[in-house]
Amino acid sequence: MHTRLAVNSDLPTWAVIVACALALVSLGVLFALELRRRERGGPLIVLTGLVAVSALLFAVLRPTRVAARESVLGARAIVLGDTSRSMALADNDTSRASARDKVIANLQKQAKEARLLVLGFGAGPPVPLAITKAAPPFAGSARSDLRAAIAAITASQDERPSAIVVVSDGRLDDPSEGAPFEGFAGPNLPIHTIATTKSIPADASVRRVSTAGAAVAHVPFPLSVEVGCAGGLSCDELTVTARELREDGEPAVLATGLSHLKDGKGTIDLSVTLERAGTRILEVSITPPSGDTIPENDRRLITFHVARERVRVLHVAGRPTHDVRALREWLKSDASVDVVAFFILRTQADDPNARQEDLALIPFPVDELFTEHLPSFDAVVLQDFDAQPYGLERHLPELANYVRKGGGLIMVGGQNSFVAGGYAGTSLADVLPVTLDQSPGATAADVANVVPAWTDDGRIAPLLAPLRNVIGEELPQMPGVNILGDAHPGAIVLWAHPTRTTPSGAPMPILAIGDEGNGRSIALGIDGGWQLEFSELGARTSGRGYGALWDGLLGWLMHDPRFESGQIDLVSPCVSGATTKLRIQLPRLDVQAKKGLVWSLEVRRLDKQEAPVDVPLPKPLAQGNRTLEVSLPALAAGGYTARLRAGQGPTTRTDFACEAGGDEWADSRPDPDRLRAIASATGGTFRYAGDDLAIALPKPAIVTSEKHVAPLAPPWIWTLAAACALGVHWFARRRNGLS
Amino acid sequence: MKRLLLVLALAIATGLAALLPKPACAFGDGGAFDPCVLLAGGITGAARPNAGSRWSWEIVQRTSAPARLKPSQVRADDPAIVSGPFVWLSGISALSPFSAQEISGLRKFFALGGLLLIDDAGVSDDGRPSAFGRSAREQIARVLPDTSPIALGPDHVLFKTYYLVRRPEGRVRGPQSLDAIVRGGKAQVIFSSHDLGGALAHSAAGDWEMQPVPGGEVQRERAIRLAVNLSMYVLCSNYKDDQVHAPFLMRRRALLGLP
Repeated sequence: MHTRLAVNSDLPTWAVIVACALALVSLGVLFALELRRRERGGPLIVLTGLVAVSALLFAVLRPTRVAARESVLGARAIVLGDTSRSMALADNDTSRASARDKVIANLQKQAKEARLLVLGFGAGPPVPLAITKAAPPFAGSARSDLRAAIAAITASQDERPSAIVVVSDGRLDDPSEGAPFEGFAGPNLPIHTIATTKSIPADASVRRVSTAGAAVAHVPFPLSVEVGCAGGLSCDELTVTARELREDGEPAVLATGLSHLKDGKGTIDLSVTLERAGTRILEVSITPPSGDTIPENDRRLITFHVARERVRVLHVAGRPTHDVRALREWLKSDASVDVVAFFILRTQADDPNARQEDLALIPFPVDELFTEHLPSFDAVVLQDFDAQPYGLERHLPELANYVRKGGGLIMVGGQNSFVAGGYAGTSLADVLPVTLDQSPGATAADVANVVPAWTDDGRIAPLLAPLRNVIGEELPQMPGVNILGDAHPGAIVLWAHPTRTTPSGAPMPILAIGDEGNGRSIALGIDGGWQLEFSELGARTSGRGYGALWDGLLGWLMHDPRFESGQIDLVSPCVSGATTKLRIQLPRLDVQAKKGLVWSLEVRRLDKQEAPVDVPLPKPLAQGNRTLEVSLPALAAGGYTARLRAGQGPTTRTDFACEAGGDEWADSRPDPDRLRAIASATGGTFRYAGDDLAIALPKPAIVTSEKHVAPLAPPWIWTLAAACALGVHWFARRRNGLS
Repeated sequence: MKRLLLVLALAIATGLAALLPKPACAFGDGGAFDPCVLLAGGITGAARPNAGSRWSWEIVQRTSAPARLKPSQVRADDPAIVSGPFVWLSGISALSPFSAQEISGLRKFFALGGLLLIDDAGVSDDGRPSAFGRSAREQIARVLPDTSPIALGPDHVLFKTYYLVRRPEGRVRGPQSLDAIVRGGKAQVIFSSHDLGGALAHSAAGDWEMQPVPGGEVQRERAIRLAVNLSMYVLCSNYKDDQVHAPFLMRRRALLGLP
């Protein structure tokens, strides 16, 4: 408790000043005039005058005693430590993160009067900074967004800080290089900056990979690659190579070029073409010069989501039928499908009774199609097509490889399909979702009318959901079916024959889907699908069933997310050596959980250098919980594919890249100039970590928590005393003959 | 005794045939071309009853397409009108007005993308349409009131679906073009004033029933080619309009002096 005297609180400050000034003037006059009159009792007059003026002043001021309980509150300052991955870069014998932690510890020692809150900034709002002594090599945030951190602080409902101290290497994502800093933190909020290092490592790197617009399959797109050399490395030119990481073999070189560097920086534009849509991993690398101390940033792994301008479909039909017509019209009606069709309109046995030049027929370019042009197609439809007479047999291994590499295949039934088409025992049969009887005299078809039966898998399959929305459980009667064998492992049957069985005793598949390598295939053992359009059922449903069926089939073949049995996404970019999280979304879990389906997740390297990892999923999955996050073990740098599978059915996959360093390591040079500019623009000060860290933080504030005010005497006492003193003074003056 | 042995041999052969793997050739007939006769407006049968089977026979002989040698027929007011994408209406005398049920059935058929060929069997030798031809247009106008027929140019896909055809011809040489109602880019009603069925009509005895005028057998061959093209249009739609065929067909048409 502190006690002090004060004037009465009802007096304004100016009145106090005026009263004091008048008292001083009076005393001055008193001393100047009266002390000269010693002969006439001057001292007495001066003494009584002094008492009278004082009493009068006290009567005006009426002093009070103030007793208060007070405390000193230090200024609130926030220390923002950079937690981005670039802080893990080496700095002499230690790391930038260690230097940061040392600076923060020193600040806490020196600014004892201040209330320091230590936060870390990376991506998004700042979080309390946990200082760990043994951090993983590439630990940290994938971004260093100072602007977002400061915006979160200024927008917070908490007490506004008096100052912010940023401890970083200066290699920030936001504010980016060259961006203005005015208005960065709002008025009266100085940002002091401390650079953790000024030493530039000897490093050549791929600093940035960018592309204009989206990557579209089969369409060349420019890849702009910025490379750099720093830290005293001598490199006038660097060889830059772009390769696609593939699961089915060695990485494929897409482009290469020589970048000429000026002032340690160079840019090269490469033109690359990705043939397959979906998620693709590109590796952009340089051949580093000797002396490069950071090999991790010599290559970047970029995940591209390659779009399709249009789905390119090769439609080959063995003879024209209503089923062929229906499929062609559906394919042609969809603007997103680019269909190339070849129909066999005349066989060797047919006699058109015309000269060749009177016919509008062209030769079937089987060799050209299935060698040169095959990779350009996203899907191949073989409809009622006999492989033998047209020379397709010799291309079946190529077609099977095409599927394994990621292509789509649909074999549609008819009298020339499956067993009758000579596919049994061929390499193409291996990539179909069903087995084919290759024994001599094998039955090729059952000509009895039949209504396909929905299987349990068919009822819940997302790819048939549009069809079920249109026609429900009802299917038209089909004029016969192709004889198909058991579903291959990994395939599922969506429609089955109501009475026929396979050699294993299972219902014979009519519609089955399956994975093979990176591709997918569908077997549809009927040629009466067109009756979803032309039939009484078709009339009731306006013929929409046919389009709904093929929308699902082709969409599933093309990995359309709408028709996948699950979704996999990365929660955050994968960092080598750190835990990565995947978000998994499952469809209609309640139904599938009832079936006791076992979901499995497998992660494997695209280059297959390591054994696949089976990631355990929560089991049993709670009903209604369709989204779950699973943590992957620490992965090495490279391209990966994650495959989600329900039971033994087809998989849903996503490819992703895991980088060592990534964006944060791409440019290893510290940027103290940017920190200096931030401090300058906001009224703060800039220091290096090795400097004296004395930063002028605001002074602490005094806070009163309890206060008692009591007058020294009642006002009438002061007034009486002043009157008495004036009276004595007047009496003294009169006795000495003064007025 | 000989007869008994013969019957026994036949029975054994039949039994063995039944044990052999079933061929798939019957499988797929559901999608075969069917020159299905439409019964509407008082029409109770095809004007040329033997034309349909010959049409199918020609398809099977000349092309890879399957066709029904015994064509079906369907009433316009029958729900089965929507069981296939092609029907054929031919006649000589004027049609009676379509009933509401017939109009409804035909509208369903067209809504699904079906194709109707109206073949004027009563057309005069000089190509003047008969009462059937005129009344058919009136009745179709009631079914599809929002569209009217247009002439199909010589570059229409119908004239190049299988043969390169210069102009339509049937039993009579008739007009230079076919008229058609085109909806959604597809010809849905084709009006022929050439008695196409007359050129195709073939008796069970193996004789052609009618003589094409004025071109005789050469004209019949051209009529058959048009019929084949029509069936290919039904089965393949506009396949021959695909870009992949364009350079080839341009060269060949130029050789033949076609436009």
